[in-house]
Amino acid sequence: MFEDDETLQMYIEESLDHLGDIESDLLAIEEAGENIDLDLVNNVFRAAHSIKGGAGFMGLTTIKDLAHHLENVLGLIRTKELIPDSNRISVLLKGFDELKNLLNNIEGSNDIDVSTHITDLENITKASLPEERQDMVTQMVDIVLTDGRTFPQVSLFDIEQYKSEGKNLFLVEYDLISDVQRKGKNPIEVLNSLQKTGTIVDSRIDFESVGTLTESDSPSRIPFQVLFASIIEYDMTETLFDIKRKYIHSILPDMISRSGASSRDAEPAPMPPAKKATSGGPKKTVAQPTQTVTPKKGSKPAVVPDIVKISPAAAAKNAAPAAKREEEEEDNTTERDVSVSVKPQTSLRVNVGLLDTLMNLAGELVLSRNQLLQGVNSSNLKATELSSQRIDMITSELQEAIMRTRMQPIANILNKFTRVVRDLSQQLGKSIDLIIEGKEVELDKTILEAINDPLTHLIRNSVDHGIETPLEREQMGKSPTGKIILRAFHDAGQVNIVISDDGKGLDPVKVSHAAIDKGLITDLQADEMTDKQKMELIFLPGFSTAEKVTDVSGRGVGMDVVTTNIESLGGIIELDSTPGQGTDIQIKLPLTLAIIPSQITSVGSERYAVPQVNLNELLRIPANQIKEKVEKVGDASVVRLRGELLPLLNLAKMLGVEKTYTDPETEEELADRRQNLADRRSKQHLVDEDGNIIESPEEDKKLVERNAEDRRYHTSSAMNIAVVSAGAFKYGLVVDQLHDSEEIVVKPVGRHLKNCTAYAGATIMGDGKVALILDISNLAQMAELSSVSDTGQMARAAAEAAAELAKDKAAMLTFKNSETEYFAAPLNIVERIERIQTASIEVIANQKIVQYRGGALPLYELSQVADFKPLPEKDQQEVIVFKIKDRELGLMVTPPVDALEVNLDVDESTLKQTAVSGSMIINGHTTLLVDIFEMVKTLNPGWFKEEAKVAAEMAQSGEKIILFAEDSAFFRNQVKTFMEEDGFKVIEAEDGLIAWELLKERVDDIDIVVTDLEMPNMDGFELTKKIKSDSKYSHLDVIALTSLASEAHIEKGRKVGIDEYEIKLDREKLMKVIRTKLNLK
Amino acid sequence: MANKTVDNSSEDIEFSTFYVGGALCGIDILNIQEINKHTEITKVPQSHDYIKGILNLRGRIVTIIDLGKKLGLAPVNNDKYNRNIIVNSEDEHIGLLVDSISDVALAKRNEIEPAPSNMSGIKSKFFQGVLKTETQLIGILNIDEVLKE
Repeated sequence: MFEDDETLQMYIEESLDHLGDIESDLLAIEEAGENIDLDLVNNVFRAAHSIKGGAGFMGLTTIKDLAHHLENVLGLIRTKELIPDSNRISVLLKGFDELKNLLNNIEGSNDIDVSTHITDLENITKASLPEERQDMVTQMVDIVLTDGRTFPQVSLFDIEQYKSEGKNLFLVEYDLISDVQRKGKNPIEVLNSLQKTGTIVDSRIDFESVGTLTESDSPSRIPFQVLFASIIEYDMTETLFDIKRKYIHSILPDMISRSGASSRDAEPAPMPPAKKATSGGPKKTVAQPTQTVTPKKGSKPAVVPDIVKISPAAAAKNAAPAAKREEEEEDNTTERDVSVSVKPQTSLRVNVGLLDTLMNLAGELVLSRNQLLQGVNSSNLKATELSSQRIDMITSELQEAIMRTRMQPIANILNKFTRVVRDLSQQLGKSIDLIIEGKEVELDKTILEAINDPLTHLIRNSVDHGIETPLEREQMGKSPTGKIILRAFHDAGQVNIVISDDGKGLDPVKVSHAAIDKGLITDLQADEMTDKQKMELIFLPGFSTAEKVTDVSGRGVGMDVVTTNIESLGGIIELDSTPGQGTDIQIKLPLTLAIIPSQITSVGSERYAVPQVNLNELLRIPANQIKEKVEKVGDASVVRLRGELLPLLNLAKMLGVEKTYTDPETEEELADRRQNLADRRSKQHLVDEDGNIIESPEEDKKLVERNAEDRRYHTSSAMNIAVVSAGAFKYGLVVDQLHDSEEIVVKPVGRHLKNCTAYAGATIMGDGKVALILDISNLAQMAELSSVSDTGQMARAAAEAAAELAKDKAAMLTFKNSETEYFAAPLNIVERIERIQTASIEVIANQKIVQYRGGALPLYELSQVADFKPLPEKDQQEVIVFKIKDRELGLMVTPPVDALEVNLDVDESTLKQTAVSGSMIINGHTTLLVDIFEMVKTLNPGWFKEEAKVAAEMAQSGEKIILFAEDSAFFRNQVKTFMEEDGFKVIEAEDGLIAWELLKERVDDIDIVVTDLEMPNMDGFELTKKIKSDSKYSHLDVIALTSLASEAHIEKGRKVGIDEYEIKLDREKLMKVIRTKLNLK
Repeated sequence: MANKTVDNSSEDIEFSTFYVGGALCGIDILNIQEINKHTEITKVPQSHDYIKGILNLRGRIVTIIDLGKKLGLAPVNNDKYNRNIIVNSEDEHIGLLVDSISDVALAKRNEIEPAPSNMSGIKSKFFQGVLKTETQLIGILNIDEVLKE
């Protein structure tokens, strides 16, 4: 085998490069079928050809053989003698795969058996030929030159093929010494330049004719023979090849000798070892280096394998093929160890323009450094400042440019999925289109390499479990061909990869059952989970949905591995699926791992970096609110953040940081006496006031300082929280201080710290000190060790989240009556808020009115209907305008008037009175919920006369019955009351499941269904779906009640068949819709 | 990096000696990268108690080990004589925090005597042997053992 490392390396790199795009090209060829795109075929053909050309020269016989056969088939496709159907392409693909494999194991490639591939390829070639020519395919011939030398083992088929193309065959003999090396060329370059004018049929180094050292008269010559086919005439060749004519032989038919011919199966004619020992060429380019000492045939049989074992690489490199063959002869069963290869060095292609930029920047940097040094030496402050600015700028640019060298287009890995999908779908009998978008998106090389496996797993999953078979798809009314979309795009400084399929989606019920069966969660937990949470159970360790393990995607590694891999890259994975419609998996990845934006926090005297990817928001709870905002659930602290319970982890406690401070004089570290982060300053203060003796004078001094600035310290004892999330965890990290957000360079920590899982690494801060980078997900896990197991925690979090969801939210308008009475009213029945001059209020017949938009607006205040204080006297009056029964009325209130979204946690009994439907706590104030209808009814019964009449009529003429599903008792009562007031009869249900049961029992009685959307057990969507998909019930109209209707919600609802959407507390509209639907007035 | 296991017993070896926990110890000077005095050590909570922390040595993160604690002697006091002995081990710089630096002692390998038998237990495994000088006994450290996690 060829031993020049550099040339070999170059060959491997170039060949792998050629192979890079082949897969997609072949697939495109397959797709095109009969309409052959010659450019594509030529591309692939050339690739196979170049690989073959080099391989001959390098002595890589197996590679040459395989490439040769591939080339034959491609040649036939090119000349349209073969139609590239999918079977043929499969063979080709496999062949190229093997070729790649061989190239990657170049050292052992000659020992690898590729006969299956070759037979397959030969069969294709043969099948396309007329019978009499078929045996040519396997036939090898020798070419005998006029001087008697031979060029052995050339495929007859090739020769015939070229002849039929009207090409002339030449045997060109280069001399590696004078023609190549002395001219400063490189064998590969020679081959490449030859390719431009013709085709290389074969090439080899002719060792037989290498001059021996003893032959003093013949100058050392290492003939490098190239069998070349070209349309060029013989007399032109001298100039073309740039060598003397006597070394160019035109091959005439009579020079082709079939006598020595044999079929391919015979021992391929490699370079005979016989002369090797003596060949010891003067140049290193010669295949056999001098250390090829005479092989000790049979003397020490055990030696060779031993060497292979001890130092595979070295042995493979140094042992001459002669020795190798010997080894083979002695032990044919020697296992070929694929790992016995020198791994090609990883190298990266960098745009030359980019390199130039780097070079320029480096130059600039040197210049600026010189300036800086000068400035410093001459104490010239201005110059120093200037140059430091320059250095600052150059550094940023340099950083960016260097990062760019690491960036690789994601196409590098996405492209291969075309093949993965193709092969898998064939294997599984599915028909799938893969659409790849955003190939140009670039990612750091390391990340790119690391996401390869997880992505493959996800794609395989989509193909195997996601997309149904064509038959199933047709039955479901989908197009028989499934679709997988692989999309990469930049968003918010991150790279997003979305894999979406239009397959069967995830069945939350099935998933949760599987999870229960595997003991990952309990029945109870499953009951409390929403569909999304159930689906996300597949990310749990030990979960795999495949009912049987297939060799496609069920291989014991589950989605948890994918998740772990992606999270270890600082990425996030999310899943969204609609049963029957498909699954979306979204992966968010950082652009690079080396430099990450981070939030700097501190605890005690140390700083800690929180990666920005994990950071959701920063929260600061003022000292005086800590008590009310931070609650204790058992041992754990939680904070309520926009209605969500957020567990708090105290970083100092987690890390066991003892509060210490360094004595400025003795440099001793003393324990800090503060006990708790939250109460540190004030407590200290208290201790002081209590007259406790302070032990150390330093402490005393500090305290005095503190007292002097007492106010300031109070504000700084606020609680600082970084709200972070990692995977399933979301929590608040309590730190002492929040600093800036900075881009930090991640540095690895030493091996002694590997067991400290709380850190993802360390970084060096601007002041030269080191800060640790926190591993948010590991911190969460650490916190758990003391509480519950993984799944328990997740289930608990899930249950909490479910409970949160089940709570109804509503937009409320809050206001005051007198200064101390807080009220709220549903925002959706509010028309406007006005401020009027008190002087403009008129009183007519005990009724306050104001001229307003050309009419009279009646004004009321709460003290008129119930026992509240009268409004304070003011010059201006805030009025909330409501619209009821198409008439407007104004409620006079005291500001501040504010709109906010609150959880309706209503106490209906304690403070219930006329015009007040209940009370709740909003922002720490007991707030009464105003029932405007009741107020108007009390004050102005005339407005409702008509309703009363209708209700009475309806009660007589037979009641209409409404099935009303709602989980919040408050809303249930409210809505039921006004339905009943309008003369309907109401059947209540606490959730969708109960409603469904009730409906089944009493379907004949029920006239219409009104349902809440968010409910435990069965939500409104599912209830509707059940109703609409069953012919027994589908005639019923379903009105959905929601507190906040988003477009997405409405769309989702329409899909399952919800007829109308109404806002919960908008009584008038709801009743109107019910009436319309029931054809009542 | 590691201790040389050359059998050339009359070879001269230079030992850098230092005090730690009241004892005089020595390391083959060829193991030492540098000796410095850095006080800006960042503590690493949750790590072994003998880990003093990490520091920035010209852009590299170096783990500092309190040699006193590691050897089971008294922890190194925080004072102005403290030094970090930076050794290179397994492609990584590690700092050994010692009480103070002493002289360089020159000795032949065969002059190193095995550690006394009454020095038993955990402590003894950290020592390669002892070197007797005219006035003192120097405990020669087995760096590989000391730096084992």
